[in-house]
Amino acid sequence: MYKLLLCWRYLKTRYLAFACIISVMLGVATLIVVNSVMNGFSTKLRTLLHSVLSDVVIEGHSMEGFYDPVGKIGKIRQHPYLNSQIDSMAINLETFAMIQYRKQNGEIGTRPVKVMGIEMKSRSAVGGFHEHLRSYHDAVAKKQPIPPASFEIPKEIRQRYEEAERQLNEARQRAFEEERKATPKVAPFELPRFELPKPGGEEPMLGIGDMQRFFEEGKKQTKQAAVPAPMPVPHVPRVPPGAIVGHLIAHYNYRDPTDGKPKQACDIQPGDSIVLTTVSTGESLRPVYDSFVVVDYFKSEMSEYDANCVFVPLEHLQNLRSMQNRASSILIKLKNYNEADKVVKTLSELFAGERLAINTWEEKQGPLLKAIEIEKSILNILLFMIIAVAGFGILAIFSMIVSEKTRDIGILKALGASSGGIMTIFLSYGLLLGVVGAVLGTILGLSITWNINGVEMLIAKITGSRVFSGEVYYFKEIPTDVSAWAVAIVNLGAVTIATVFSILPALRAAMLQPVESLRYE
Amino acid sequence: MNATPLLSATNLQKAYVKFANRIEVLRGLEIDVAEGEFLSVIGNSGSGKSTMLHLLGTLDQPDEGTIHLEGRRIDNLPSQERDELRNRTFGFIFQFYHLLPELSVLENVLAPAMIQHSVWSWWWNSGELHEAALAMIERVGLSHRLTHRPQELSGGEMQRAAIARALINRPRILLADEPTGNLDAANGQHVMQLLRSLNEHDGLTIVMVTHNLELVRDTDRVVRLIDGRVETPEKMLAPPLAEVGAAT
Repeated sequence: MYKLLLCWRYLKTRYLAFACIISVMLGVATLIVVNSVMNGFSTKLRTLLHSVLSDVVIEGHSMEGFYDPVGKIGKIRQHPYLNSQIDSMAINLETFAMIQYRKQNGEIGTRPVKVMGIEMKSRSAVGGFHEHLRSYHDAVAKKQPIPPASFEIPKEIRQRYEEAERQLNEARQRAFEEERKATPKVAPFELPRFELPKPGGEEPMLGIGDMQRFFEEGKKQTKQAAVPAPMPVPHVPRVPPGAIVGHLIAHYNYRDPTDGKPKQACDIQPGDSIVLTTVSTGESLRPVYDSFVVVDYFKSEMSEYDANCVFVPLEHLQNLRSMQNRASSILIKLKNYNEADKVVKTLSELFAGERLAINTWEEKQGPLLKAIEIEKSILNILLFMIIAVAGFGILAIFSMIVSEKTRDIGILKALGASSGGIMTIFLSYGLLLGVVGAVLGTILGLSITWNINGVEMLIAKITGSRVFSGEVYYFKEIPTDVSAWAVAIVNLGAVTIATVFSILPALRAAMLQPVESLRYE
Repeated sequence: MNATPLLSATNLQKAYVKFANRIEVLRGLEIDVAEGEFLSVIGNSGSGKSTMLHLLGTLDQPDEGTIHLEGRRIDNLPSQERDELRNRTFGFIFQFYHLLPELSVLENVLAPAMIQHSVWSWWWNSGELHEAALAMIERVGLSHRLTHRPQELSGGEMQRAAIARALINRPRILLADEPTGNLDAANGQHVMQLLRSLNEHDGLTIVMVTHNLELVRDTDRVVRLIDGRVETPEKMLAPPLAEVGAAT
């Protein structure tokens, strides 16, 4: 009983104990916040990568991709096991390109992008595409029926595009007319006239000298005449195919000079025309390009995809790059992802003779996922060292407290307290400090974790720069995922460290001789 | 005096060694304490009074010699049994009171009872123990100071609280190490009266170490320690004790 009472009193009366509590609290809070953010980062990244990448990917080793993807899909469907396991498949043609667009201020914007040729229906069925379209997000937000994913140019955009084209055409016509009007009129070129000598007449026959004079006269007259303006090419209305551009290609962040707040502006709007320039395949590469009309944005919240991907119709890209019936990958969605390894093995056997890489999405993103796991482990080790430092603090402070309490220890022993009892007081004291520190640290850590974006905004407001920029990281907000298991482990670790580091001072207290302790001043 | 002493020490020897120095404090000390006796021990500083008290109360162990409590040897008991003896059989009073500063008067008085009882046993007997503590505190005249901390008490009050604490587990022997050494005359007298009363009315055996020869008049027997041994009775009559006797 006296152990509990003294333990509690020591906690209440020794301000040094609060230093221990604060150090444990900060250690625990830091570990919980970092763990939750790392977990959230890892979980969200995995979820998004999985959704964007599909369960299994068959891909070629070069930009030329592989031949006959449709035939390969047919072959897979003929395999009984694969057919039973595969939900849907989509052909993907991926290449790099340069995108050109006219910015809102009239300038031309150019940047490198990754162009994906997809067949809309099958790509949507594989998943990880339709739900990332802005039209989908808008419909969900407005609680409206979700429109199907499509490269079809909506009527209003088509009208806008046609209107823009018409205005452009008119402008061209006007420019042409003005240019023609400004060109000085010149008398039409006439051939020099010569009287042919009459046969049997007095005049000599037309000789070589006459021919030379004829051509010189002609040249002279030609020089006097201006080159006539070319005939205007009649504009043939052609609405280009639709394209879906990454949200961060079309938008950019800036700081409003009036209020200093970060804002987002749009450079490419739905209905705007873009030009994609890529290369054709074959022995000699040549640039190929075409214009497209933006119909939607791709917004997966993964900046790597949102800032780089442009989706266009598969067939159009195949034709543009002279890659008819070729693809760079086949995306496969499984009915049960647990079967992924077996499916990969079966696919590898099925396409044994072909140069194809067949991987699950985790294998494909292995280095990234592994890097995150390693980073998480290293951070955890480093942060546990913070608690270990707190442990050394407890050791030092406890040693001071034992020295300070030497006489009290002697009194307790004189009153009949055992060495074990004395040791229990200090061990319980360490345990109590650990528990109180861990509980406070958990409360603080969870509060920060649950309001991490608010905290980040506050820090950004104070420091003037974003701590977590969506452009640097994959996501626009800091993802968090509080794992009860991790919180429990952190708490247990903190309490254990606090208790373990109090063993030495507790042993010292227990070993004190009562007579010497009573004499201690 | 009874034939079998309540507490007896035979040939007690104790030396403290610090570095190369060996200081022999007790050199074959022999002492018997009868049940119900109020024994005072006097002697010069360094004569071994406090060391003897610590050995008798099992706070320390002799280098040689034996200590018996009612015929049972207690100097070589395992530490757990010695802890129990200090908790239940012996009560200690110190010159500097030695109250626990984190606890109130009531809690200080209850401390030995808390040490004796486990948590469950404590809760079970809490009411009874509190009543006993309150009665003891009332007896030493500190009822108005129950919730006060030691640092809020005067020296006399602290010593009375220490006496109440020493008695809460109803010990058989009270070992008092210069209980009035740090008190003024009035408070010293008050404490002495309390001890005398405990001895006379409760039959408590008291061994009191003191420098104050005035106080020994109120005790049953006086022994003097010189160089770690008890002075022979003949020498005991020599001054200054003879002077004390003459004064009475």
